[in-house]
This record gives sequence, C-alpha cells and structure tokens, in this order.
Amino acid sequence: MRKPNQFIRNFCIIAHIDHGKSTLADRIMELTGQVSLRDMEDQLLDSMDIERERGITIKLTPVRMFYNAKDGNEYIFNLIDTPGHVDFTYEVSRSLAACEGAVLVVDASQGIEAQTLANVYLALENDLEILPVINKIDLPSARPEEAKKEIEDVIGLDASYAPLVSAKEGINIGEILEDIVKYFPAPQGDLDAPLKALIFDSYYDNYKGVILFVRLKDGSVKKGDKIKTFRSDKIYEVTEVGVFAPRLYEKNGLFAGEVGYIAASIKSIQDVAVGDTVINAEDPAEQPLPGYKKVQPVVFCGIYPLDGSKFNDLKDALIKLQLNDASLVFEPDNSVALGFGFRCGFLGLLHMEIIQERIEREFGMDIITTAPSVSYKVIKTDGTELFVDNPSHLPPQSEIDHMEEPIVKVDIYSPPDYLGPIMDLCREKRGVFKEMNYLDANRVQLVYEMPLNEIIFEFFDSVKSRTRGYASFDYELIGYQSSKLVKLDILLNGEACDALSMIVHEDSAYTRGRTLCENLKEAIPRQLFEIPVQAAIGGKIIARETVKAMRKDVLAKCYGGDITRKKKLLEKQKEGKKRMRTIGSVEVPSEVFMQILKTNKD
Amino acid sequence: MAGIYVHIPFCKSKCSYCDFASFPDKLCYAESYMACVYREMSFRRKELKDYSFDTLYIGGGTPSVIDESYIGMLVASARKNFNLAKDAEITIEINPGTVTADKIEFYKKCGVNRFSVGLQSAIDSQLEDIGRIHTAQDFLDCAALLKGENFNADVLIGLKGQSPADVEYTIDFAAKAGASHISMYALTPEDGTPIYTDYLNGELPDSDEVAAMYEAGYKKLKQLGFARYEVSNFCKPGKESRHNLNYWHRGEYIGFGVSASSCIKNVRFTNTFDLDEYFKCIFTEHLPVITSEEVDEEGQKFEFIMLALRTSAGLDAAEYKRLFKTDFFAEHKAALAKTARYLEINGSSVRIKDEYLFVQNSIIIEFMES
Repeated sequence: MRKPNQFIRNFCIIAHIDHGKSTLADRIMELTGQVSLRDMEDQLLDSMDIERERGITIKLTPVRMFYNAKDGNEYIFNLIDTPGHVDFTYEVSRSLAACEGAVLVVDASQGIEAQTLANVYLALENDLEILPVINKIDLPSARPEEAKKEIEDVIGLDASYAPLVSAKEGINIGEILEDIVKYFPAPQGDLDAPLKALIFDSYYDNYKGVILFVRLKDGSVKKGDKIKTFRSDKIYEVTEVGVFAPRLYEKNGLFAGEVGYIAASIKSIQDVAVGDTVINAEDPAEQPLPGYKKVQPVVFCGIYPLDGSKFNDLKDALIKLQLNDASLVFEPDNSVALGFGFRCGFLGLLHMEIIQERIEREFGMDIITTAPSVSYKVIKTDGTELFVDNPSHLPPQSEIDHMEEPIVKVDIYSPPDYLGPIMDLCREKRGVFKEMNYLDANRVQLVYEMPLNEIIFEFFDSVKSRTRGYASFDYELIGYQSSKLVKLDILLNGEACDALSMIVHEDSAYTRGRTLCENLKEAIPRQLFEIPVQAAIGGKIIARETVKAMRKDVLAKCYGGDITRKKKLLEKQKEGKKRMRTIGSVEVPSEVFMQILKTNKD
Repeated sequence: MAGIYVHIPFCKSKCSYCDFASFPDKLCYAESYMACVYREMSFRRKELKDYSFDTLYIGGGTPSVIDESYIGMLVASARKNFNLAKDAEITIEINPGTVTADKIEFYKKCGVNRFSVGLQSAIDSQLEDIGRIHTAQDFLDCAALLKGENFNADVLIGLKGQSPADVEYTIDFAAKAGASHISMYALTPEDGTPIYTDYLNGELPDSDEVAAMYEAGYKKLKQLGFARYEVSNFCKPGKESRHNLNYWHRGEYIGFGVSASSCIKNVRFTNTFDLDEYFKCIFTEHLPVITSEEVDEEGQKFEFIMLALRTSAGLDAAEYKRLFKTDFFAEHKAALAKTARYLEINGSSVRIKDEYLFVQNSIIIEFMES
C-alpha cells in the first residue's frame, strides 16, 4: 500500500454569514500566488452574479493552490469555499466530506452566531480538524479575547492558538497558512487500491457534458479510463480530468488524496447523483464511500412558466439546476389558475429565492411562483396518513381527523438589549420558550420551539428589523405536532383561486385572510367590472375587499398625428396583459401570487 | 374620402397643457412659413393628382393669430394644387381672443364654412390657470360673431380644481352661445409640459374624478340635444366633423406644415417638428418628412378596428370585408367572445356599448394580434 501525497491539505472555510469567509479565501489565494493582485476581483470564488450582488456564497467552489511552507516543503492546498447561510447547510456538508480540516472564521466583534455553531457541529460530525481564526481584528469594535473565550465556552475548542487576522487588511494571513500545514492531517487512503472518488458536486457543460467534482479517496483516474458509479451500471470513458485553478485546468491524472474534476461525456444527471462514489468499471472497488446525510426539503412552492407553452423549457431549467444543486426537488403539478408547472421543494426561503432567481437569470425564463408552504401531516378519519405541501391537495375537511405541522427548534443569538422584542415576536409566531443562556455580557442564546410555517412568513425579516440586524438565528426540524390548521381560500369574483390558497393556524386565519384581501385589492389592477376579493374557510367568508371597476381607460384625442402613437400605447397595454393570468374572468398579475407572502407590516 | 390638414404653428402664448408644435415667439416668420406651405403643396401636386379631397382642416397652434390674407391664399393654394370639392368642409381653429368681425367675414369669403373655437372652460379662474389668453366673455363675443355659423367649442375636463358641475356649466355655456358641435376632451398631461408638474404632484383630478366629469358632461350634452358620435365628440344632427370622421374611418389624408402627419396608400409619414428644419427642407426643394412607415396588413386591420370602435356607430364588418377580404367575425372569434358583454352587435355593425366607450382601451386590445 502506498499512501497518498503527504503534502496535500484539503480544507474548507466555515463561518456565519458575513464573517468574512470569502474575503479570507481571496487573501489565501492571493498569498499562495494563485491569482496575481492585478487580476484580483473581489470575492473570486463567488462566481455567480447573484452571489456577488448579494454578497453571499451559495455554491461551494473548489480551488487548488501551492504553498511553500516554512519547513521547506511545497504543499498543495485544496480549498473548498462554502456557503454560510442556514439554507445551504447541505452544500456545506458536501464540501466537508471532501476535506480533512476546516478553518472556522469568527468575527472578532460579533463572536459566535447561529450558523457558526451549526457549521461547527457539521464539521465535528465529519471528523474534521478545526482551526479557529478570529477575523476583522482591524475593526474598532473588535474584541478578540472575548471571541476566543466564546469559542472555548460554547464550542469547547481550544482557541488559545487561534490566529488573529484581518482578511480585509491582509493581516496575519500567513499564520493561517502555516497552521493549516501544521494542524490539518494529510489525506489518508491507498494509491494502489481500486478507484474510489466521492462526487461532491456537479454541473452541466454544454460541450463536455456533466462535470463531476470529486475527492479521490483511493486509487487514481486518468483520461481513457472506464468509470461507473456505484449506484448505476452505465459505463463511461473519461475524456478529461483536472483540477480547479480555480477555473478547470486539465491534468494527466488524479490520485488518491486529490480534489479535482472528471468529465466523461455524461449526458444524464440520473446516473451520477451527487454523494455517489465513482469507481473504475474494470477494477471496481467493493464498498462505496459513505455519502452524507441526505437532507429533506422543508419549504415548498409552485413554479409555473409565465407563458404556459414554456412548460418544457422550465422542466429543462429545473433539471439542469438540480445537477448543480442536488437539494432541489421538484415534481410536475398543475393548477386551475396557473396551468402546468412544478411543485418544488427547497431547504429554506433563501434557497427558494435563489432558485427562482437563477431560473430567471440563467435560463431567461419568466416564471410565476406561489406562496411558500411547509409539508403538513394529515391524519384521515380512516386512519391513513399523508403529507401535503400543496394546500389545493388537501382532502375534504370531512375526511380529515386532524393535522400535524412541522416544528423546529430555533436558536437565536442576540445582544441582551433586544430580548424583549425577540420574545414578543416568538410569542406572536406561536413559539414555545425553551431556554435562555448568557454566553457573555454581550450575547444571549434563546431557544424556542416554533411551527415552521410561522418561520416562512417573514420571520427572518422581523428578527432582523426588530434587533437592528444584531440577532441571528438558525433552526432545525425536530418533528411534527398536532395543530388546529385550516385551509384559507381566496375567491376572486366568487371563484376560488387554487394558487392563492394556504394552510394556516385557526387563530391567525382571520387576520391573515383580512390582510391578504387588502394586499390583493392593491395588487389586482382595476378591470371593467367590480371584483369582490374574499377570504373563506370552508364555505364561510371571513373577509372581503372590492376592486372597483375601472372608469377611464381611453386616449381622449385620436386624430391624424395620434394614430401611430395610440397604436403603440395599446401595444404596450397588451404587452402588460401578457404578464397576467386569467382566473375565471379576472386578470391577475403574476407578482400577485408572491404578494400573499407579505402578511404584516414590520 | 380624403382630407387635407394644414398646421399653423404660431400662437400668442403657449397653454400649460399644450404638447403641439407651436412657437409663440416666432410670429414674425408667418409670411415665410405660409409661403413654404404653399410650396410644399405644390411638391405633392403630381403625386395626388388622382385624389379628390372633401375636407380641409386648418389647425395649430392658433391659425387665427396670423393675418387672414394668408388663410385666403392657403385655400386658394389648396384648390390650385388639388381637387378639393366645391362643397368641401373647410374648418379653421380660432382662439376667442384673436378674432374680429372683419376677420370672420374674410374667412367666410375664402370658403371657410366650419369654425372650431377653443373654449376649454367657461370659468375664468380655470382659463387663467391653464394659460389661456381669453376669458369666458371673449368666447361669448366670438360666438356672437359666428352667429348662424357651424361651429365647434372645445371643452377640457380633468382641470385642476374642476368639478362635474363645472363641466356641466361650461357645456351649457357653449351650447347657449350657439355651438353646433362640442368636443369634450380629457386633459392628458404630457411629459415636458408645465401641467405635467401638477400631475406629478397629484394636483390634477384622478381617473375616477375625470370619469365622473365625463359622465356629467355626457348627460348634459345628451340633454341639450348633442349626440355622441365619437368618444370625445358630440354634435347636433348632421353636424359631425367630416374631416375627423375620415380619420376614424381610416381614410387617407395629407398633411402640410410643421409636425403634420399623413396617411397615403398605407404609408404613415410625419413632417419635422422643427421650424428651421422645415424652412431648410422647403428652400432646398425637399419634402420635410422625418418619419415614414408602411403599415402592413395586420397593422391596417388593427388600426381600422381601433379607430372604428372609438365611434358610436362602431365598426362595419361589411366594410372590413371589402377592405381586407376576410370575415371580421371569423377572424376575431376569441376577442369577440371575450368582450361580448361590452359590445352591441347588429348585423354587420359592431359597437362598444355606450357605458363602456370611456374604458375602450381594454376592450380594443383584445382585438390586437398577440
């Protein structure tokens, strides 16, 4: 048995959102000469437009670097950047499986936040060595010693040796590089054993087919090799292997311990699921690598093409996105109001928003999305159970014995000044107080149990606005609980609109129904007739608003010189109509289906 | 049917809502300008020799601010270059503050047989507010000079501070003064005009208030014996403007002068809006056209529908068939089904019901190919 190259270090950087992870990654790349200062664009690893615009990392991005350490050896660093937001935990766990170590970045002024912890636990589950780093020490508000103490008290890691750095100012970055060499283990594995490579990501390239991002645990792979995956029998011939520099850089072969990519003219995603193991078809390994925890979607919504005839384009877009984001799930669905589309499942609200935006940007599609929902457990009178995430698929009330809703444990970290507003908010959201811990004089941890469906309605924004952005939160699903849930229907001009229905708690049904009618009244343009907008539970109307009939819609003058202009105005009006859906006799702008999210004003 | 339009781009001062080509400070160029218009007519003489014209419309600006002798020469020039029918309808727009008995007499001698008087409002504070140069009394004086003549009064609705009662009062005022035709237009605040600022600041009545004014005016007009024949035009029996009807029947017309538009053989073209540019073109023996667009058959059909549905008589499917060789009802089955409750169909006539004429856009666009 030959051991893999002992001068490789595979690691990732984990952090709470905004603690400076991507900036640190940029500095490390700069220092290892991976990119010259001149070519340096900020946040090099965040290659998606959305990532740069929002200043967040969504996709994990690998990159390979060389580092000449003080011990006189040249090391290969494979860095996998990871997203920080709670919704992308899945992406994090995938990158962790490809690493031996994790650099934990903690903001010197903010200390430990909700996602710091979530990510640390993930890293520990994956047996990674953790190197704490205190960042942003250049800020006047930095309190590095307290941050260190928090790490020791809350996580139980020895932080005494944690480098104090500023990624933004480039202070002490070299120290991190030395620590990576010193503390992170070299990859284990066997160069002579049959090939075993973990697929941790993939995307579709129009010329090369599916590009597999892999971490080789055993053996090697090169161009011309016949490969297959553990779960599929299809055999492919490798057309290209290489590393991330950070763009694809072809090499002669990849060996155990390395991180790189494989292209093999793979056309279909089904055969190469992320988490699967690539093996050599002629010398197959017997056991697959352990994959990682498959995560279940928790937030669902309908996505429909604005132009009904573009159903297949939408399907293509979703398939290609799934290749790049294995946590996205979808199945065909149809709605009376919106026609054919898909019911999609997401890891959270941000994930949902990102996917919607990527469909629109990367595939140039106009889509309509319905309000998000969670998955409810319905226990029918005949004793059978089913899960319903689409309000319009709820069985008739008479067949329902009772319903259960998903409950999450919510961890909130906040300065003590905002405890009052946070506790008020949690109470409004049907939260049950569990515990409160003072982490230090400036930081309190609050734990609540709360229905997930309360979180998807503006909880994030409310937490941020009520604490001026100082609090952070994270949540995890802990189970289902029986609850008084009802289906709230919206009737437009007397006709129920399935795409606007939602499942809500009985106590908030009236308020939500009323707000919804008010919002819809504003959002639906006036038409030639009066439109009653009603909210109903069962057959009972609980709220009503009226969209008044339009009274003036005319170009007053139309003589010789006005005709062309008038025609253009009408064309524009017609164009606007294309963005509307007809429900019964009412024309509804596509944005309306998302409007129903906006249920309160804070 | 075909019409001639002549644009006179001069006036004493610009009203705050005016978006037309008119130059209050360029009156000194009137003589040269008119000479150019006569010249422009001669450029078109050959091309239009087979046309017979039924109407001549002299609009502006304020055609009545220039010396009346130019109007005489203008009519003569039109007759000299084109076949303008003996009994042609010849209209001139006049401003109450700019006419005398002699002027009116001269117009009549030249052959002008229809007058269009800009009243806008019978309430002086409103007139002042929009920058009109005349008072309500000036209008009465002008109407007295036009006694027995066929004349229109323009009325604006949607003015700042205006009420439905104000509109009724203005209409009553115009009718009593002897107008045989009343145009009631909703003010359209155009970007770049002074009144647009009022609009941006929410000082103008909203669309519901304008609709209420229209409703009040419409009822008043009906009561006074004025029938609506187009969404903004009302008249005593037989007093329709033939020139304007030609536009709504999608007839052909030729325009002369700055900013004038034409539609000849399905080509729509427009003259320059710039006075110097206009002079330059004419002096160098060029047509002053700046935009020209051939309307394809789909466009022709839509224009025909959109214009016809503005009128109370509506669209004649038989005429549609004669023009386009297709059946209107078969071709627009879906649109007809969708808008059925707003239409009145009688044989080959299709019209928007009275109560929906003021919300016609949403109905008309259903007939547009998507």
